[in-house]
Amino acid sequence: MSEKVNLNVNGIDIESDPNKLLIEACEDSGIHIPRFCWHKRLDPVGMCRMCLVEVETPRGKMLVPSCTTEVSDEMVVDTESDVVKKAQEGVLEFLLINHPLDCPICDKAGECPLQDQTMAYGPGESRFVEEKRHFEKPINISEIILLDRERCILCARCTRFSDEISGDPLIEFIQRGNKTEVNTFPNEPFKSYFSGNTVQICPVGALTSTSYRFKARPWDLKSTRSTCNGCSMGCSIELNSSQNKMLRILGVDNDAVNQGWLCDKGRYNFEYLNSDSRLKTPLKKIDNELVEIEIQDVYSELSEVIKDRQTKVNFLLGSNLTNEDYVAFREFSEIISQSEKSFYLNDDKLHPGLFGENVDLAKVDDLNSSDAIVVWAEDLKEKIPVLYLRIRQAVKNGVKLVVFGHTNETLSDIADVFYGKETVSENFEIVKDISKLKEIKDLVIGKNITAILGKSTPHQSDTSVTKLFEFLNSNSNSKVLNAYSKGNTYGAFQTLENVKGLNDFVNEISEENTDLLFIVGADPVGRSVYSNQIKSIIEGLDTVVALDNFNHETSELANFLIPMSSTLGEKEGTFTNIEFRTSRIDKLVPSPGQTVSDWEFMTSLMNFAGLTVETNSLESLNKKAYENLDSSLSPVFDNLDKPSNLDGMVNVSKPKISSTDNNSNEAKFFTGEKLYGDSATERHSDSISLLGSKKYIEVSEGVVEKYNLTSSKCILIQDEFEVAVRYEVNKSFPNDLIYIPTNRRELNKFDFSREIMIIPSQVKEALNVN
Amino acid sequence: MSWDDKLLKQAKKIIKLYPQKRSALGPLLHLAQSKDGYISDDSITVISELVGITEVQVKSVSTFYSMYKQEPTGKYLLSVCKSISCEINNSSEVINKVQEFTGLNNNETDEEELFTFEAVECIGACGGAPAVQVNYETVEGVTPENAINLCKWLKDTKPDVVVADEMQENFGGIKSFDWAIQDNSGATSTAPGFQTLKTTKAKK
Repeated sequence: MSEKVNLNVNGIDIESDPNKLLIEACEDSGIHIPRFCWHKRLDPVGMCRMCLVEVETPRGKMLVPSCTTEVSDEMVVDTESDVVKKAQEGVLEFLLINHPLDCPICDKAGECPLQDQTMAYGPGESRFVEEKRHFEKPINISEIILLDRERCILCARCTRFSDEISGDPLIEFIQRGNKTEVNTFPNEPFKSYFSGNTVQICPVGALTSTSYRFKARPWDLKSTRSTCNGCSMGCSIELNSSQNKMLRILGVDNDAVNQGWLCDKGRYNFEYLNSDSRLKTPLKKIDNELVEIEIQDVYSELSEVIKDRQTKVNFLLGSNLTNEDYVAFREFSEIISQSEKSFYLNDDKLHPGLFGENVDLAKVDDLNSSDAIVVWAEDLKEKIPVLYLRIRQAVKNGVKLVVFGHTNETLSDIADVFYGKETVSENFEIVKDISKLKEIKDLVIGKNITAILGKSTPHQSDTSVTKLFEFLNSNSNSKVLNAYSKGNTYGAFQTLENVKGLNDFVNEISEENTDLLFIVGADPVGRSVYSNQIKSIIEGLDTVVALDNFNHETSELANFLIPMSSTLGEKEGTFTNIEFRTSRIDKLVPSPGQTVSDWEFMTSLMNFAGLTVETNSLESLNKKAYENLDSSLSPVFDNLDKPSNLDGMVNVSKPKISSTDNNSNEAKFFTGEKLYGDSATERHSDSISLLGSKKYIEVSEGVVEKYNLTSSKCILIQDEFEVAVRYEVNKSFPNDLIYIPTNRRELNKFDFSREIMIIPSQVKEALNVN
Repeated sequence: MSWDDKLLKQAKKIIKLYPQKRSALGPLLHLAQSKDGYISDDSITVISELVGITEVQVKSVSTFYSMYKQEPTGKYLLSVCKSISCEINNSSEVINKVQEFTGLNNNETDEEELFTFEAVECIGACGGAPAVQVNYETVEGVTPENAINLCKWLKDTKPDVVVADEMQENFGGIKSFDWAIQDNSGATSTAPGFQTLKTTKAKK
């Protein structure tokens, strides 16, 4: 880094890195300059002129916008002079000319930069007596975002976000001058996975979400900082509630992780918390009827099962648990059964990943500092959306991007090289000699590489990814980010041993080895490719206990249903993300009804059964989770709550995954998950249920030809079972590839090891799940 | 795609002139305007696919510039300058007379779809003020009387090609300077006459 520059602001000498913007340099030194359009994660535009300051030049003092002026040595700046004040008053007066001042009914009022800065810097009085400009208010620019063009001050934050950050510029300025407005193209809604961010960064109430609109006033909100457990990214979030109801989630600018951004699923998939359909009392199945039961009775009946400590217990664990929950299950299994235990995660096929001695694990931040990024994993935009944003950011900063696999086509737009169907076969094997690919030579060999590797589909064989890794490892200085995408998978890796996937579950679990099965926050019958097999296994077991937020296709098979409190705002704990960064999950609202945390349930059960447990509090479980780590580095509550550790603490611990490899050739079509599905929580979150209910598949061009598909709909048939769906042609798919998203009910009922038939269909019925 | 092969071929030729596809956006919008007389949403969709940006980004550009029309115009687009040089040389009277003759308010099109009238900001012909454009072909030094004559002539003869030099000779007055266009061959539609866009008469 070159030397610092010295400048004088308001008579105070400050120091700054060169090439910094004046507004940023002042901010770093504690001098606040008002602004609307400038946002530190977006390119400067100088739209609003609110940040005008006086700078001394050879021609005398001049007003310059500090958001587009770089600092230079010996610069003399005045941010508070009379001229600056007059300029600020003038700018605000202009901005308010067309602003409706409907603050009393505006959601932004109370946390509105325009309101606040008008108070602080405004003229106090308006001289404008003419009619303001009028627009229809508000208009729906997508199913979940509303736009009030009268309130808009044309700062271009939303349009810049959609262009620079998320890369789906579906909103833009239309018209010019006094007529300028933000809008979408007719019939082309703002359908972005990241649209909620525009609402958060809008400096006025022009963009609002249907989710939060008219729900609360900012000064009534309680808030706390937590971690999103929607995928393995672990974005820092702020939870907002009013009157004990969760109302909103905001992104927190955690430089190492999400930098303030969230995907819409993370932002809006909390609405289920307030759903009336949530499980609130324990239920027991008696004669195939679920009847309410006291929690004490559940404990006493279950303690009968476990009290001799010889019970054969197994666990099927979802990814929406805290690390403390996982530890509670581990402790329980250690006390109850003597033999070595496996924990089955709710993941179709858990691949072993790349964690060997020769693997250097990457952090998310390494994306920015490497020469090139190599990706071969599930579609990251669908599975880890904010990681996709971080890749985009790195590419924008000049890092090269090499993408393998026809399933990664969302990244292919920004990739320098995309090895699609010519290089990667239907069976997800690289069919060409990697070392002979010309572009690889230029971009990869001898360079610093961050490789994001995982499986494109559960049935892909483990060796195909390993081969690519071995090539990278021996030809470049490479680091690996294993792309497990589901929730707190890494927390499970950190706390549990012998973790396996559902493929092993269906092969290993039987009546003989399982007296008691806990299914926790998982719906494999409704969401997995092994749906039918898992269903029959569960039906054959004696005692099945399901802990969940909702009753769904899996939990309805259980003997006991325990209402679980949600990891979003209803309990405390820790979460570990894709780079083994552990951060805090915090509680904001009370758990409804008789819901309990998983760790509470397990601890109480053991207490009830008269078993002595050391870890009978959240703190003790938290300490237990990280007992192997050096105390100053371990992410226990005491450390995480220090202000310096709010962004989380990284502790790499190599997981013990003992899943069996599988043969990719068994699959006749390939499966995966899209961002929006129709799981119980998604169905009961209004915003998400709108987006994830469409039943559709993707097919290659070859399939269209083979089955003579003409209309936009078709019928999938396997034996007696048939489903009508829409299909979309995916040109990057090779040969006869069919992709079926399994996070849609019904679509996961097909057996992937057998052929599937497609016939064209003209059905008029609506093809939505809801 | 609502564009025929001929137009698409032309569009691809234009795109090839630029190092980046999206730089061709301006000329492509002119091309769209020569097809329909305005920028239709269909054309926007076609252009967005051709240059690889989203439809709303094309819309944003097309609505920014007032020479790209968002509504269909008449066969002849009459643009009378109202900026300072023309104004002090009596352009307001020219405007009045044209409006009187055509019966149109600003930005209106008559029922026969013959004329669209607009009073515009500076068209760069201050030296020969007041100036008028017919389908972006400029006539300078237009008196109110000559403005009516020009409209009458357009209405009576309905020429398929309007040529600046020809109109200047018959209806113009002082010229600012010789525009030095060797073979001004006129505009065949409400898009400016460009050889590359084929919106001008073929070279003799």
